[in-house]
Amino acid sequence: MRRRWSWFQFALVTSFTALAAFMSLPILFIVNHAFKPQNELFLFPPQFLVQNPTLRNFELLFLHASNATVPFTRYLFNSVLVAALALAGVILVSTMAAYALGKYRFHFKGFILSLITLSLMFAPETVGIPRYLIISGLGMNDTYFGHLLPLLASPVAVFLLIGFVSQIPDELLEAAKIDGASHLTIFSRIVIPLSAPAIATISILTFQTVWGDIETSTLFMQEETMRTLAFYVNSLLSGLQNSVAGQNMAAAAGLLMFLPNLIIFLIFQKRVLETMVHSGIK
Amino acid sequence: MDAKQKKRAELRYHGSRYGTGLLFMLPWLIGFCSFVLVPVGWSLFMSFNKVQVSVGGFKYDYIGLENFRDAFLKDNEFPVQLITYFQQMLLMVPIIVLFALFISLMLNQRFPGRFLYRALFFLPVIFATGQVLSELFTQEVGEIPFIDQYNLEPLVAEYVGQQFAEPVMSVLGNAVLILWYSGVQILIFVAGFQTISPTIYEAVRIDGATPWDSFWKITLPATVPFISLNILYTIIDLFTFPLNPVIAHIRENMFKVDTGYGYASALAWIYFAFIFVLIAIVLGLFGRNMKKRRARS
Repeated sequence: MRRRWSWFQFALVTSFTALAAFMSLPILFIVNHAFKPQNELFLFPPQFLVQNPTLRNFELLFLHASNATVPFTRYLFNSVLVAALALAGVILVSTMAAYALGKYRFHFKGFILSLITLSLMFAPETVGIPRYLIISGLGMNDTYFGHLLPLLASPVAVFLLIGFVSQIPDELLEAAKIDGASHLTIFSRIVIPLSAPAIATISILTFQTVWGDIETSTLFMQEETMRTLAFYVNSLLSGLQNSVAGQNMAAAAGLLMFLPNLIIFLIFQKRVLETMVHSGIK
Repeated sequence: MDAKQKKRAELRYHGSRYGTGLLFMLPWLIGFCSFVLVPVGWSLFMSFNKVQVSVGGFKYDYIGLENFRDAFLKDNEFPVQLITYFQQMLLMVPIIVLFALFISLMLNQRFPGRFLYRALFFLPVIFATGQVLSELFTQEVGEIPFIDQYNLEPLVAEYVGQQFAEPVMSVLGNAVLILWYSGVQILIFVAGFQTISPTIYEAVRIDGATPWDSFWKITLPATVPFISLNILYTIIDLFTFPLNPVIAHIRENMFKVDTGYGYASALAWIYFAFIFVLIAIVLGLFGRNMKKRRARS
């Protein structure tokens, strides 16, 4: 019995290693691609591994950036600020909403729930122009609010969180209430810690959307100094799409845009796994 | 406890009935109304109008359903794109969800280093960012070489018929993409399995159930809500996918002078109607299933 089990484990680990290796190919590709010298970038069929790694691509990218009117660091600062604020805002606002939707009874609850499901289906690209009209109506062009507010009320985040929050046993909340906890204490001491895996998931998803978002920069920001790194990289790439030198910068910029995602992922992934191990629910 | 405190406690009790719920909802609700609900409603209004940019704002001319008629009768790209993408979707959603279910079941087993693997399978989620994805697409690393090598296309066409061959081929071609797309779904499943108490498994094992039985009788019923969550998530994810040809077509029309934003809105609403029907079917199927379960327990 014992031997068969470990044989099963062995098969499992082997097949997972194979699959995992397959899944991580694109990372390998992005990282290697950024360090390829010019002649290797255009090889066909494309090679995964770089033969003569070089930092020339990054040099070119920074040289190009330093010639622009707005310094590279300004875009970076904008992106980091917007991402950090949006992350904090989305987590707070959507956990609160999910807590209310998952654990309270009030008017229009069913209606709001169906609205969330409906609005999930609407691709943000299609409502760009009405959004622009609202933003400029509120006078938020060229402010950080213009970056933040459209992202704050995320239906996806609430949608994912409701499932987790409603899994929290009612007895736990009742016990806290009997012990004299206020709604805010219940929210901050019980609901937030217990839905941590879901919060970590939406953090990763939110960061990804904010970091890669070019819509707010294109539509709501007219001043170059208020635009984000994603917009800069995108305009750089579309301007250089057909030129040979552009491919170098594109490869380096691809890695630069990808790395923060990876870092955020690694930070929160650890949290996700930790909470799964220690989760005291049930 | 004096009278004042008592009154406050009383108020708090009544407030908790629905006031607090709404209060917690408020920030989200305001944001949702102003940046999702109003724009969506606005675009519905625009879809019935011919919208032209003029000096000092937009000019609306009410033209009724003409935009919608044009979408099917005049536009020679949109209906084809819509139907092809829809077929592709119907194939990809079950594949992605089943793949995620299978992988997460395996990841739920005990074996050394499973945390590392869980992390690895979630990793692809971060590729979903437009920039990286389009880079990979143009390099065509998402495709599997053996399709061209063994000339699979006529074979597929023979088995499933000519009209379905194209979506099947593109699903095969994007097999790697499917693997990458199942990250969030795997995570949701793995988290979902954690909500099943280990004592239940122990109890049925003592009663003599095989692992096979306990999967069908315990794991699967308990996972049904997560399966429906995952199906919805996958549909939505694929429909709002940045490289999706239909969305690209809508965006293209948005900034064309002769068709304008009104027409683009009409296209978006047709697209939306299709997804809505699909999601309504999924919700209907799973909703009934869940209600049955709730009634039993």
